[in-house]
Amino acid sequence: MSFREKSSWITLVTLILLTLFFVTHLPSSWTLAPRPGGFLFFALTVGIVAFVVIEIIAHIVVAILSPRDVKVPRDERERLIALKATSIAAHVYAFLSLGSVFLIHLGANEIGVAYCVFFSFIIAEVVNYAARVIYYRRGV
Amino acid sequence: MTKTAVTNNIRKLRFERNELTQQDLAERVGVTRQTINAIELGKYSPSLEVAFRIAAVLDVPLDQVFQYQRTD
Repeated sequence: MSFREKSSWITLVTLILLTLFFVTHLPSSWTLAPRPGGFLFFALTVGIVAFVVIEIIAHIVVAILSPRDVKVPRDERERLIALKATSIAAHVYAFLSLGSVFLIHLGANEIGVAYCVFFSFIIAEVVNYAARVIYYRRGV
Repeated sequence: MTKTAVTNNIRKLRFERNELTQQDLAERVGVTRQTINAIELGKYSPSLEVAFRIAAVLDVPLDQVFQYQRTD
């Protein structure tokens, strides 16, 4: 497995785990019109910091275990995989984020819409890295 | 598994060239070892430039390395 494939796995697993952790700990009183601050802000901040820390540590560990792979520059196949996966993710993000705006008609306030747009980005990134993993494993 | 219409004899030609490893071939061509492996398994069709580089390293004409399978 190349360094970049391992990196894709790291990011994919980290995103999924943190998102699941966030969603499963949502308070039962959560609505589409939340107030500023509170649990959502705290969980979001902790989630982002945790994501960055986990990414840094995991990538350092992988780089230490495979120093030779890290030095190899990205080749045409890896560039193609990144390009195709990002293209799919962009469509997902556009669809979900535009859909988030329509939540206003379901009673969402600006904070609710902002969180939905943010989660659209998270879902799009999960799709991005899942697509990369599939292309690495099955071929592109 | 996604297979391409382009097949190749890279693995056979590598062994005929003093058992050239995938890593050695990758370094001389300028791609990763995993890309060479993907090409050998038919999971990836290289660009024209990389195909020519592989043929040059293996010191054979391009059509002895890669073959196109017509689907019609």
